[in-house]
Amino acid sequence: MKIEGEYTFDGPRETLWALVRDPDALAACVPGMQKVEKVSATEFTGEIVVRIGPLGGSFSGRVLISDEVPPVSCALTVEGLGKIGFAKGVGRIEMQEAPEGKTLMKYSGEAQIGGKVASVGQRLFDTVSKSMIKQGLDKLNDILKARAA
Amino acid sequence: MDRKYIGKRVVRNEDPRLLTGQAQFVDDVQFPGMLHAAFLRSEYAHARVLKVDVSKAREYPGVVAVFTAEDMGRDWFPGPPLVSPPPTVKDVIFHSRRQVPLVKDKVRHAGEAVAVVIAESRYIAEDAAEQIEVEYEPLEVVLDLEKALAADSPRVHDDLESNLAAQLFQKKGDYEAARKEAEVVIKRRIVIERGAAAAMENRGIVAQWDAKGRHLTVWDTTQAPIPIRNGLAARLGLSESQVRVIAPFIGGGFGPKIMMFYPEEMLIPWVAMKLNRPVKWIEDRRENFYATTQERGQVHDVEIALDRDGRILGIKDDFIHDTGAYDPYGLTIPINTQCHVMGGYDIKNFSSEFRVAFTNRIIATPVRGAGRPQGIFVIERMLDLAARELGMDAAEIRRRNLIQPHAFPYQHEIVDQAFAPLVLDSGNYPAVLDKALEMIGYEKFVKEEQPRLRKEGKYVGIAVAPFIETTGIGPYEGARVTVETSGRVNVATGIGTQGQGHFTSFAQVVAEQIGIKVSDVRVTTGDTSEFHWGTGTFASRGAVVAGNAVHAASSIVRGKILKLASKVLGAPEAELELEDGQVRIADIPQKSVSLGELAALANPLRGAVEPGTEPGLESTAYFGPQYGATAFGTHAMIVETDPETMMVKIRRYVVAEDCGTVLNPLILEGQIHGGVSMGLGNSYYEKLHYDENGQLLNASFADYLLVSSTEMPRIEVGHLETPSPLNELGTKGVGEAGAIPVPALFAQAVQNALHDRDFEILEMPLSPNGLFELLNKETE
Repeated sequence: MKIEGEYTFDGPRETLWALVRDPDALAACVPGMQKVEKVSATEFTGEIVVRIGPLGGSFSGRVLISDEVPPVSCALTVEGLGKIGFAKGVGRIEMQEAPEGKTLMKYSGEAQIGGKVASVGQRLFDTVSKSMIKQGLDKLNDILKARAA
Repeated sequence: MDRKYIGKRVVRNEDPRLLTGQAQFVDDVQFPGMLHAAFLRSEYAHARVLKVDVSKAREYPGVVAVFTAEDMGRDWFPGPPLVSPPPTVKDVIFHSRRQVPLVKDKVRHAGEAVAVVIAESRYIAEDAAEQIEVEYEPLEVVLDLEKALAADSPRVHDDLESNLAAQLFQKKGDYEAARKEAEVVIKRRIVIERGAAAAMENRGIVAQWDAKGRHLTVWDTTQAPIPIRNGLAARLGLSESQVRVIAPFIGGGFGPKIMMFYPEEMLIPWVAMKLNRPVKWIEDRRENFYATTQERGQVHDVEIALDRDGRILGIKDDFIHDTGAYDPYGLTIPINTQCHVMGGYDIKNFSSEFRVAFTNRIIATPVRGAGRPQGIFVIERMLDLAARELGMDAAEIRRRNLIQPHAFPYQHEIVDQAFAPLVLDSGNYPAVLDKALEMIGYEKFVKEEQPRLRKEGKYVGIAVAPFIETTGIGPYEGARVTVETSGRVNVATGIGTQGQGHFTSFAQVVAEQIGIKVSDVRVTTGDTSEFHWGTGTFASRGAVVAGNAVHAASSIVRGKILKLASKVLGAPEAELELEDGQVRIADIPQKSVSLGELAALANPLRGAVEPGTEPGLESTAYFGPQYGATAFGTHAMIVETDPETMMVKIRRYVVAEDCGTVLNPLILEGQIHGGVSMGLGNSYYEKLHYDENGQLLNASFADYLLVSSTEMPRIEVGHLETPSPLNELGTKGVGEAGAIPVPALFAQAVQNALHDRDFEILEMPLSPNGLFELLNKETE
């Protein structure tokens, strides 16, 4: 399954770059995120509770950051495992400076799902993941605006 | 022959119990202290199992035991092969790889069982199963059939050189020579995808071990209780008489319930003995989607050669069949396909090679139709393309090629699922075709109504598809018929019943011989303690093979009744008649004796039974056909298609069926209706979607589009009877007939409806989306 999109943040690129590397900020903005721990500069682990239609459950996961070009781009490898299945994904984010001190983020990736999430939840997975991304980015933008202010 | 009971529209004996909730299903079986099983199933389609940690599950409150492959020790071994390949075909390749009770080293399809949890309740068992931690090493999956057979493909079974499970070539005449003489040669690739059987009742097993009595009782939703009994006894080190398998009322079989042995079928009885507690497992719907077998995945490369008059000179059809992760059911499905690619047509030259591929999908075993719908789809699609090329009418090109009535028995020559060259025993194919055309008003529709409706802007189409169905194969079935002192008759046979109405149709067969009310005949099926010889309910053979065994036993009992009554009434047998549970002298009807009185006289409490005779009015008899009977039918329909929404409305649906002697038209029509509904699913709605990682994406009825009452048309059924010469009743099977031609018919009708569009339907199932894409491809 492909995930692709872009989002315009109301704040400068450097601040945004710092934010996405801040476990507390991430924990606050990802919907359902229970905790985020920084294992190293490029590895985070965490726990997230997800609801997909009739399914609900917690996933424990790991995010690896690679190919970093601060503050422009990086690659992400995400792995999540829970009672209702698993999800894996590789993606890229790119940040471009936009007029009026804004930042345009472009993201793309490919996800693989298995277990109940796939067999029962796939029809909703697409919309749920889109809405989670949207909510998360809105929240991140709020935090960014607060910090930048 | 004038028949009093056979062929009558008798309402079913079993219905009052079923309709009032008084029929016993497996899940109704309850015992105090009964434990419940839940399975942990693999989330990956292809992965090495590195570690299974069940410690947390074992400690979970309410859990009694957890078993992995490791825990089974020496009791772990793959299931027995169910059907071996035909020994009679030259150069056949077959690699048998059988399903395992629990995954040991490697997972080969998503949903394969890795561990089983036994607990005080199903809730606890399910929750505890979630506590099991499995470490997998995901492997590249094998899904595409052509790539699966490529040299560089990852392998489903590491010990094999490739994913080739089997290969078989068969021919008749000389296709290449026929092709040279052909005036029209058409070649296409046809892709057929999988669907589910989706029986209303999922699978279920209850096993009870009586340690002191040394006796195992198993309630199982199987279509073949006797082979299950025999297999369980062998596996568990018991005598066959120590095992009783009961297949009670079952909410639909459709083929997958004869997969022997399912991992759960081996495990639950094993666990019950191990723990000395009754154990129950009832499959849930999601499990049914990825732990119960499926069918139909094939890719065909077919070529048809014809002359200008539309006569088929030859067909060449090479195809790959998807057997999934294992191949316990041998070659039944692809062989059935091979045997149906010529349909009911007189084709002199045929060449077909199939290869069977292992893939990381769920095991494929027969689902109602069992390879036949694919064969019929292939030939019928090719005939439609040929008719278009030749500018010929769809019905006419079929009529020109049908096997003629005088040609029976017709040497088909291709070795079929019974391992012998197929012979089509009897029939009048053109008459059946004509009946279907007449019922749907073909001429009038094509000449008058269709042009008028098209002028009104309506996309209406008509289609007609004939088909053969090989049925009623051996080896044999048996039955015991007993007249009891109450005057009622008890019948037992070894096959199981999953809704086919055996309790009524077999009772009619008995009534015909013995002269008793159908409702006074009690039939038992599927209980090995009642009758313990037999094979099972499959290949549309119940009414043919078991039906004729019931007939044979009833005839013998009739003889015994007549002999005794003749003595009692002092009249020669020829002057006696059996009616209403009485034997009476035809000319002096007031002189009679009841069947109950005769039964009592035949089993006296004092006196002597004559040497060389048996007590009672009872007989056990068997029937094994020389070869399978082949039925023939033709479906026709009129559809209206909306080229905007791609929805297809069926305006008329007619079926002309010749399955030999009709035992009960009511039951027969029910069978056809059910089959058509399944066939419509295979045509336009039901498709199992696997993603590129082998994950089944529509494993629920929210996403898998089962045909419902709103899609079902009103079906008109017409009967023709060409009795089979292969059995006394003259019956041929009909269980799968309804499903077989439907996708071919549907495709033809939609093409005909959208006559002004340039597209070809070369896939099944199609879907509204799929049709939209096909039509858009055309405009690109």
